[in-house]
Amino acid sequence: MRNWKLITMPFDKENPITVQVLGICSCLAVTAQLKPALVMAVSVTVVVALANLIISLLRKSIPPRIRIIVQLVVVSTLVVLVDLFLKAFVYDVSKQLSVFVGLIITNCIVMGRLEAFAMTNPPLPSLCDGIGNGLGYGIILVALGTVRELFGSGTLLGYPVMEKIGAYNIGYENNGLMIMPPMALILVGIIIWIQRSRRSS
Amino acid sequence: MEGGAEMKQFSNRYMLLYSLALVAVSAVVLSVTAVTLKPREERNRQIEQQQMIIKTIGLDCAKNETPQAYERHIAEAEHDGKTYYRYDCDERQGIILPLHGTGLWGPIWGYLALDCDGKVVGAVFDHKGETPGLGGEIATDKFAQRFVGKRMDEHPIYLIKNADKKDPHQVDAISGGTMTSNGVTQMLEEGYNDYIKIREDATK
Repeated sequence: MRNWKLITMPFDKENPITVQVLGICSCLAVTAQLKPALVMAVSVTVVVALANLIISLLRKSIPPRIRIIVQLVVVSTLVVLVDLFLKAFVYDVSKQLSVFVGLIITNCIVMGRLEAFAMTNPPLPSLCDGIGNGLGYGIILVALGTVRELFGSGTLLGYPVMEKIGAYNIGYENNGLMIMPPMALILVGIIIWIQRSRRSS
Repeated sequence: MEGGAEMKQFSNRYMLLYSLALVAVSAVVLSVTAVTLKPREERNRQIEQQQMIIKTIGLDCAKNETPQAYERHIAEAEHDGKTYYRYDCDERQGIILPLHGTGLWGPIWGYLALDCDGKVVGAVFDHKGETPGLGGEIATDKFAQRFVGKRMDEHPIYLIKNADKKDPHQVDAISGGTMTSNGVTQMLEEGYNDYIKIREDATK
């Protein structure tokens, strides 16, 4: 039960993006469209979960003085592995994500979870914590990706939604600001606002 | 820290060996994976290139049909050490110019299919790391379509804001993607120079 809570907590109460305000950089960069946002969400989840698991297994043997380096080596190994697999199996998506896969290494959520959780907790809870935080990050990414692609380009996963429902015929136009990174920041702000006002009541 | 066990001292020797071992394991895992997956990646890359090339002459093939279609319609040719392609499909013939350039973040490239008069019959562009939704838009069909019917003779095609649709050399640039658009213009200019040389030699 405790493990289940570890998975679901980051969805809302402990969300890495809206509550801890981590991982903002990639969240602005890859959410102009939904598909890269989805793949990024999956990739980060895989990396955080596995990194948490590995670090947790090693935690008793890691000398505290070099722990950050050890964490970095594990994380970068995993990220390069993910990158290789994406290139071999979903080549087109890996091209869309381009540099951002590599940048998962510097995603603050990954290092944050390792330091805050995996270093001091057993493997199973650590794995759950990693999955939860990856998904919590993913939820926000997908939400942003959906809104930005729908209102910025009028499509969803490349499917021309706005054209199909005839929005252009009644004078609707795509909002160019939506595909600019600043809009992602504004949207994150709105999500945070809604979340906080709901919780305080 | 949990205290107690974690706070114990580790000797320098231990730390050194620990990091060495860690890096060695990581290196082995990565090299093995990279070598095993390499052929797959290369095949993907090659098919993607062929897919791009045949797309310029209007053939949109699934991944597994691409190599056959490519073999049937495309012939590689060389001029001055530079590769270009000749196509022959449904009684249409002409050449396909490969284009290479630099965008904002990294390389951009594309292929331009021309008929015998130098009119563009199809184009396709791609990029390594342009911003999705902005410069990255050059990889969309919508952008590539803007080139169809433009002319590559007498003057290279160039990108400009609010292009005159009737001008055979002007194509609408991408809003928010100025640096990438400039890169495309530059690359078209180089492609034009190659094209002129190829044509001159052909008529000699």
